[in-house]
Amino acid sequence: MGLKAIYQEYQRPILGSASVLGLILIWELVLTFLIPLNPFFFTKPSLIAVAFKEQVIYGALWGDLAVSSRAFLWGFSFAVLLGIPLGAFMGWRRRAEYTLDPFFTALYASPLVALAPLIIVVFGVGLLAKSVLVFALSIFPFIFNTFAGVRSTDRLLINVVRSFGGGEKDLYFKVIFPSTLPYIVAGARIALGRGLVGIIVGEFYAASEGIGFAISRFGDTYRLPEMFAGILVLMIAAVVLTEGMRKLETVLAPWRTTQETR
Amino acid sequence: MNRLASFYIEKEHYILGGGFILLLIVLWESMPHVLTIPRGLSLFFTTPSRVIDACYQLIVENQIQDHFYVSSIEFLAGLGLAVAVGLPVGLITGRSRILDAMIDPFITVFNATPRLIFLPLFILWFGIGIWSKIMIVFVGAVFPLLINTYEGVKNVDRVLVNVVRAFGANEWQTMKIVVLPNSVPYIVAGLRLAIGRAILGVVVGEFFGASKGLGFMIATAATNYKVDVVFVGVAIFMGLSLVLTMAVKKIESNLARWRPEEAKTF
Amino acid sequence: MTALIKADNIRLTFKSKDRDPVTALNDFTIEVAKGEFVSIVGPSGCGKSTFLNIVLGLVKPDTGEIRLNGTPIKGPGQERAMVFQEFGLLPWRTVTANVELGLELKGIAAAQRADRATELIKLVGLAGFERHYPHELSGGMKQRVGLARALATEPEVLLMDEPFAALDAQTRDLMQAELLQIWERTQKTVLFVTHSIEEAAYLSDRVIVMTARPGRTKSILTVNLPRPRDYEMRLSAEFNDIKANIWNTLKDELIARSGNGT
Repeated sequence: MGLKAIYQEYQRPILGSASVLGLILIWELVLTFLIPLNPFFFTKPSLIAVAFKEQVIYGALWGDLAVSSRAFLWGFSFAVLLGIPLGAFMGWRRRAEYTLDPFFTALYASPLVALAPLIIVVFGVGLLAKSVLVFALSIFPFIFNTFAGVRSTDRLLINVVRSFGGGEKDLYFKVIFPSTLPYIVAGARIALGRGLVGIIVGEFYAASEGIGFAISRFGDTYRLPEMFAGILVLMIAAVVLTEGMRKLETVLAPWRTTQETR
Repeated sequence: MNRLASFYIEKEHYILGGGFILLLIVLWESMPHVLTIPRGLSLFFTTPSRVIDACYQLIVENQIQDHFYVSSIEFLAGLGLAVAVGLPVGLITGRSRILDAMIDPFITVFNATPRLIFLPLFILWFGIGIWSKIMIVFVGAVFPLLINTYEGVKNVDRVLVNVVRAFGANEWQTMKIVVLPNSVPYIVAGLRLAIGRAILGVVVGEFFGASKGLGFMIATAATNYKVDVVFVGVAIFMGLSLVLTMAVKKIESNLARWRPEEAKTF
Repeated sequence: MTALIKADNIRLTFKSKDRDPVTALNDFTIEVAKGEFVSIVGPSGCGKSTFLNIVLGLVKPDTGEIRLNGTPIKGPGQERAMVFQEFGLLPWRTVTANVELGLELKGIAAAQRADRATELIKLVGLAGFERHYPHELSGGMKQRVGLARALATEPEVLLMDEPFAALDAQTRDLMQAELLQIWERTQKTVLFVTHSIEEAAYLSDRVIVMTARPGRTKSILTVNLPRPRDYEMRLSAEFNDIKANIWNTLKDELIARSGNGT
């Protein structure tokens, strides 16, 4: 296989990595040779790499990441535990949908993050306030996606299972749950992004530890390489989680032709 | 009696939905009359009527208008910038395989990352005036617009492209007659998302390092335990979000004239 | 009888990244006279639709030449118009606006476009549906719009790529009868690709039977039924003989095709 054939086969990854590497290289070169670097205003890849190594290899950021993860996990878990049953309930009972849908829709459409200062004043600086924020922001995708999943279960499939003598239990486990699951995972991906917003706002606003706090403190003290290293860590975490969720969607529902909704 | 029953059945949807929200408000309002709120908690407690009072006071004393103005400017400028960048980039990446491949990693990474994380950087670069907020609104809103435009271009029906080319259309005419109209519902859906991100940017941007704006008003009120003022700010943001979201939904349902179902992106 | 369309030794191979190259057409040669109705039948994948796309000018053959009125075809042109199997109507345009598409691209003034569209909508029997959107129409009505659109630019040649394949049997019969009427009235040259032997026999002056992939002409059968034709004719012994004749020619190719296992 010639070089040209290899390029054609892997055109996308080659072009993608080339543009990323190219940008990093230009960034480094411009600030090294063309424009003198003002370290209080900007930084360059080589300095970020050093800071990243210090912060990540020698551990400082790991502690912050662990603190943030704990708050995230608490809030997210409660969102799952409450959101899915609520959504399923709304999907089952038309009256429940009528009653709850306008209220939840209004809350979902509004920037609940505006309540953050109040939540922090009420629950104090720390784990609890952050978890509440994550919960409040990430519960709605679970509610609405579970609801949509239950609602879009194919009536025909329900009748098929019934016609073969399936009972109520068979309906749940053989039809409704499998057809709702991909919706829930898709909801989890949206909830993930919103939960991360909750963490960041909570830690920017009032915290003494955590990845958001670290980034904002590095900013306040003009330690730009460290700040970029922190942003990089958060980016990696966000990409790994999001792409993991995407993968999970295809694993759990390989029969679905994936509808891209990023 | 029968008429009442049939009226209920017909309007059950609205009666239950509106009734529930009304019930919550009434319960909230009557809480201090029914229970004695512990002193420690009463500091954080307010009622809907006190919120309305506070809102009236703020308007009369001309305290809220300035904040509102600043927030609106940040919102509109940031969103406008996002539209001006997101649409063309989405169209171009949707049509060019090479540019698509080159930009894709950046879009994937930045779209997965909550862009609020750049707020400290923007404050450092642009100061605490409106520009840091405009930029945070911009980076929040640009990705949904860009990605939805891209999806709209990508999902264009090959058959339709062939049809207009068979009638002799050139690349520009193909763009105008098929690609762009096909993307409109996606772009509008992207706009709906972008509005949400933009408001998020305004709110959070003003929490930190700002001296004006509704978010700033909320943050200062919270530290001073003026809970009713916090709720005034929250209610304004809620109202704006709902009005804007509904306006965009209205546009979407108008588009549905030629679409049997609404755009499925969200 | 002078040939309006003349295709000489057309050869086309599709190359793709992950599959072996597929030769769609090999030494395909036909001649179509002015005003003639010619059908092409053949096993799936024999390249008959590809050939229409070559005549249309959307696909370029690797070797061989195709001429219209003696001039080589280089790209799409106003003398040819296609009716597509999947209708290909722009969903955001009304019936009128869809019919106007070709005229618009030709640069004709709006008032004239509207007049011409109204005339053709009447011709295909859709008067009263001018302001409807495609999704409000049945399959048969959609294809009437497709036909009106193709006729609007007054092409010499009408290319029809399995135009009635997506319709139910009764609608199909109806559309065939109407197509014949319109054809007799407008005197177009028609090149018609179909899977249906009955359809080919009923509509055509000549039927070209193609071999399995790579497609080439296996035989050309002349249909000597009088015109105008009507539905009764389809019940005659003569018509059945013609069908049997086509079927016998095609049979070996179908077997060869299914024997390939593709």
